[in-house]
Amino acid sequence: MNLEKVISGFFIILALTMNFGFFYGDPTVLEQHNRYELFVAIIVNLIATIYKLGDKTHLGAVLLATSLVADIQLIAAASVWALGEYVTGLNIETVTAIVSLSGGALLANIVSVILFTGDVLKSKR
Amino acid sequence: MRNNSLYLIIKRMRTPIYVLILTFSISILGMVLIPGVDNEGNVYHLKFFDAFYFVSYMATTIGFGESPYEFTYPQKLWVGFCIYLTVIGWFYALGSIISLIQDKVLAAQIALAQFQRKIKKMDEPFIIFVGYNSMAKAIIDRLTHDGIRSVVIEKNEEKIKMLALENYSIEVPALAGDIRDPHVFRMAGIHKHNCKAVVSLFNDDVMNLHVALSAKLMNKNVTVIVEATEEEYAQNLKTIGADIVENPFKIIAKRIYLSLKSPSLLMLEQWVYGDPLVLRKKDKLPLEGKYIVCGYGRMGTALEVGLKRAGIDYIFIEASPKKAAKAKRGEKVIVGDADDKKILLRADVQEASCIIAATKDDLLNLSIIMAAKRINPDIYTVARENRINDAVVFKAARIDRIITIETLMVKKTYNIIARPLTDRFIRLMKYRGEEWGRHVVDILKERISNNPDTMETVIDDEHAYALVEHLTATEEETPYEILYRRRDDYTKRNRLVILYIRRGEEEILLPDDSLPIKVGDEVLFAGDKESFEDVEYIMENINELCYVLNGKECQLSFVGKLLFSGKDG
Repeated sequence: MNLEKVISGFFIILALTMNFGFFYGDPTVLEQHNRYELFVAIIVNLIATIYKLGDKTHLGAVLLATSLVADIQLIAAASVWALGEYVTGLNIETVTAIVSLSGGALLANIVSVILFTGDVLKSKR
Repeated sequence: MRNNSLYLIIKRMRTPIYVLILTFSISILGMVLIPGVDNEGNVYHLKFFDAFYFVSYMATTIGFGESPYEFTYPQKLWVGFCIYLTVIGWFYALGSIISLIQDKVLAAQIALAQFQRKIKKMDEPFIIFVGYNSMAKAIIDRLTHDGIRSVVIEKNEEKIKMLALENYSIEVPALAGDIRDPHVFRMAGIHKHNCKAVVSLFNDDVMNLHVALSAKLMNKNVTVIVEATEEEYAQNLKTIGADIVENPFKIIAKRIYLSLKSPSLLMLEQWVYGDPLVLRKKDKLPLEGKYIVCGYGRMGTALEVGLKRAGIDYIFIEASPKKAAKAKRGEKVIVGDADDKKILLRADVQEASCIIAATKDDLLNLSIIMAAKRINPDIYTVARENRINDAVVFKAARIDRIITIETLMVKKTYNIIARPLTDRFIRLMKYRGEEWGRHVVDILKERISNNPDTMETVIDDEHAYALVEHLTATEEETPYEILYRRRDDYTKRNRLVILYIRRGEEEILLPDDSLPIKVGDEVLFAGDKESFEDVEYIMENINELCYVLNGKECQLSFVGKLLFSGKDG
């Protein structure tokens, strides 16, 4: 067992689950989406990204790309939220934007986890 | 391979970035969770954006004050904790960056990346030097003067630092690496088509063989120039296809033979290597009497061949019985220290005409000469100088002839790379004999001076635009004689001699004036600076060419073709 693999696997999957936890719920009702969950999702995604940095293989590069996509989408969701709260006001349009942005990030995270599992399955021991 | 430095930075920066993310997220989360009181006394929670904004300027020690309202004491307590947490995180990250900049591995990687970029960008012909020693340095010095680029591979990083201080007029990229690693050769650009030659002048024949072998395998079009002092390695090198195998001792032996048998050829050879075209009195070896050669190593055995061919009586002194045992039957070899007076007396130094100190130890050579001179002050002395650095001491010892091996190698290698025609000329003239040599020397002295220069050129578009135009436009033959004419008065002859012309497979030594010029000829001139300038003008400038051809200025000079076709009418 490789401790580094455990930790990186943990963060990659946690990034997906947190993201899903935030995304799940009625996309028009902001009360069904927890702000703390978004915060943790962003932090975990960032950590997962750093874990993927510095891997020279082709797979490593694709994994890094998916993570970067998820980061950008989640940070965009948080920015839209802050913008809505302080500048434009939280109407249905902004709320759906927040949730759908996190939905995009969720897709990227799913791809990332599939790639990660595929790599694990491929390496027979 | 190329982005190693980037990956190194990323790998090293991972932990500091984790620390930053963690400290930030802990601080932000705490700020959001701890309740505060606004101006009206209502309890409120900071929004994530407020907390992020506040932590960002707090952690970076910018500090805009408390926002959006003044903090309560529980909040201040948390902020106090966060200040230390985040500042430590920042400092840790900064420290990592600074130590990374000073990191030797990273510096080496960055230097490597720069080297590779330089090699990639280099599109002019270049020469790879393996090993940066005093010889390589001297050759690179001369080559940069001629505008030929060089690349150095050297194991010792200290030497590369020295190279960087050298201030060559053209940049000489250097790579620190062991030549036994094939990657190193590749990185130095051996596979590139503009890599013209690989030069390896190690003292170690095995090393040279190794370099030649890998160079030839990686790029069979590259010219490999190596030093080999032992016959078996020279043979090996030739079989693997090394183009030029240099043996300094053979050159020395040949020179000794030439100075005994045909001094004019020796004079020519020394002139080509940079000496004036005169034979001083002390350059003349005694033709009679016995020669004592100290050292029966690589140089000794080479000298043996030369002396025997010249019919000179000689005797060897060798300190190592093992080397002395290699001597063929009938060779006179005394075993013993050559600077020992008794041994010298046994070799009849008091009656000998010449002593050659040919060991690989410079100090020993000097002491041999001193000892021999004390017994026989009239003896002609020849000493081998192994290292250029010892030149001062050797000069002070008033030796009749000093043979500097390194200088010899430098000049020879330089000639091969930058002056291939000159090198070929020396080789060819040896077959012509003393009579021919004297004739050439006389011509050179009579037409030019005691110390002519040489110039090599090719009759092609690049070097002789006007001449090539003229030759292709007119069918009639143009003799080489026109190049001898002077630019200011075409009836007068320039101080110039054409020594050698290579025309495909054909080689012409001292061509006749009436020989027609052909496109593609490679020509070796001897002359002075002014005459070379004239030749270049005549070859490149249509006006000048027209003048020396017809003796009058031409009109319509701006249309070359018209000029030549309308010339007759």
